[in-house]
Amino acid sequence: MATRDSLSGTEPSLRDRLRFARQSVGERLPTPGEGIVGYLFLLPAFLLFGIFLAFPIVYTFYLSFFRFEGVGNDTLLWIDTGFFSYRLTSIADLRFIGLENYIAMFSDTLFHQALFNTTFILVVQVPLMVALALLFAVALDASFVRLRGVFRTVLALPVSANLVAYSTVFLLMMQDAGLINYVLTSIGLPAIPWLTSSFWSRMTIVGAVTWRWTGYNMIILLAGLQNIPQQLYEAAEIDGATRIQKFRYVTVPQLRPVLLFVFVTSTIGTFKLFSEPVIINGGGAPLDSTITIVQYIYQTAFIDFRLGYASALTYVLIGVVSVLSAIQLNVGGESDA
Amino acid sequence: MREETRREAVWQFLTYAFILLGAILTLVPLYWIFVASTLKESQFLSSTSPRLAPGDSFFANFQSLQARENVQFVGHVGEMTHYIDLGPFYIAYDFWNLWNMGAIESSIFVAGVYTLLSLLLCSMAGFAFAKYEFRFKKPIFYAILATLILPIQLLVIPLFLLMSQLGLTNNYWAIILPWAANPLGIFLMRQNMRSIPDALLESARMDGATEFQLFYKIALPTMKSSLAALSIILFLFQWNLFLFPLVILDQGKYTIPVAINQLVGAQRVYYDQIMVAATLSIIPIFVLFLFLQKQFVSGILAGSVKE
Repeated sequence: MATRDSLSGTEPSLRDRLRFARQSVGERLPTPGEGIVGYLFLLPAFLLFGIFLAFPIVYTFYLSFFRFEGVGNDTLLWIDTGFFSYRLTSIADLRFIGLENYIAMFSDTLFHQALFNTTFILVVQVPLMVALALLFAVALDASFVRLRGVFRTVLALPVSANLVAYSTVFLLMMQDAGLINYVLTSIGLPAIPWLTSSFWSRMTIVGAVTWRWTGYNMIILLAGLQNIPQQLYEAAEIDGATRIQKFRYVTVPQLRPVLLFVFVTSTIGTFKLFSEPVIINGGGAPLDSTITIVQYIYQTAFIDFRLGYASALTYVLIGVVSVLSAIQLNVGGESDA
Repeated sequence: MREETRREAVWQFLTYAFILLGAILTLVPLYWIFVASTLKESQFLSSTSPRLAPGDSFFANFQSLQARENVQFVGHVGEMTHYIDLGPFYIAYDFWNLWNMGAIESSIFVAGVYTLLSLLLCSMAGFAFAKYEFRFKKPIFYAILATLILPIQLLVIPLFLLMSQLGLTNNYWAIILPWAANPLGIFLMRQNMRSIPDALLESARMDGATEFQLFYKIALPTMKSSLAALSIILFLFQWNLFLFPLVILDQGKYTIPVAINQLVGAQRVYYDQIMVAATLSIIPIFVLFLFLQKQFVSGILAGSVKE
């Protein structure tokens, strides 16, 4: 009896042998219960994804056609077992207004101001930062540079700075009596009203964002540079190309997909700008000249409590960002081909 | 030939000058955060003669920061005014009652819990997508993939309503749960886990391993470097979250960004105190960065992967 048991224990069952045989000829066979196991592994993430990401995506769109009139109080479901009771209420008290929220945007001057400010910062900041990141990456990639690791570390340090905390330093340095104006006046230049003039306050944001993100983009570009085949440079050298020509005709074209990626992600980042204007400019000062789109959405939603209109604004922003992301993904696909 | 070497020398000099200038400009704000935190406000906020070297007022500034009534930046021992309330898990944390949590501890705690939870969820989901066959696998995966292009931090309006209805306002779960199933994390883990050989899993199955053992004894240990990179992405994501914590957290539960925002938005802005707060919240992550540089870099590059 015992021998038999131990024998059958070690001997693979017919099913296992069959599976093994099928596998050895390269056929993949689902393990028993595999379908359910897959769902079980996925379940926790899927639940949270459904409740906190998929639902909000749909519900923001839904909300954008309504006027918000208060947090919901209508009972949708009420279970009372005596031991515990559970009441599911509607999410919000809403009134359908169709496309009114979207139409209202056309005559909303503060929204136009926010769009203008964001675009202004974008147009100045993104090219400046990408150019700087590219130059630093190329410089650090040059074969003669020593202490490369140290310089790379230093330039990448801002990556770890908390977005809100670093903004306070710019708030401090850019004061009328701050460090930057002290440096300017001591070398004989006039002091600049960094936080009180509408042009210069935008420039302050440009400077802050550039400081925070140049190193980040430099790291991505450095990785891209390392993927350029060395033979291309050698071939260019044989043809007598100068440094600038090599940069212009080898580096930039080879790096094009990575550069586009950096451009698009930086553009998306600028559309999402929130911490910097809130901290450095106290929410849009002077005279709303630095208010950004996200900040305007925040004010509309959580200070004025116009959640419907804020949802419509969010969807416009999401639309813009998604189009940009789609471009980015396409660019990425191109680079693989 | 000599003309050429001279040009080469000039070129090298210019390159070094450029890199050095960049390094200095990068370090100046960091240096200034630190220096300003050790000085009195009148010493560094001066257009004529600011002091540029560290002073000795750090502890005085720190004490006045701690004495603020609306913001508790670093925790302290004392009568309990603020404890970690994680809903049903509250009792488990009751022994912390002696220590009043400040914004720093809150941020570290929230980012830590978020990172661990999200790592687990993302790698489980990634494992399911990479190594199992089930119905609707493709549509579900593409639905998750599609949200990669959305700025998920911006979906705060329905989240706010949802959290109000779930009774999670002013609760740390409200800023942990919404992004725990991080689409980027799921995508990255799925991509990386596809490289685990099926034969390895199959032979472990033959040896009688349960499916969950396959996951945490075989799949996870081979994913160490991906998990390290992903945890940096996740930690920094939560660490920098500002908009939703600002909406959902009240006084006494602030994370670092919200606490600093309170300091900046106050009637009278005390820069010396703010710089102490900035020093305390930036310097620890810098040290972490110096030690884990490789993981930071691979985290940045992983975040920039394309399909």
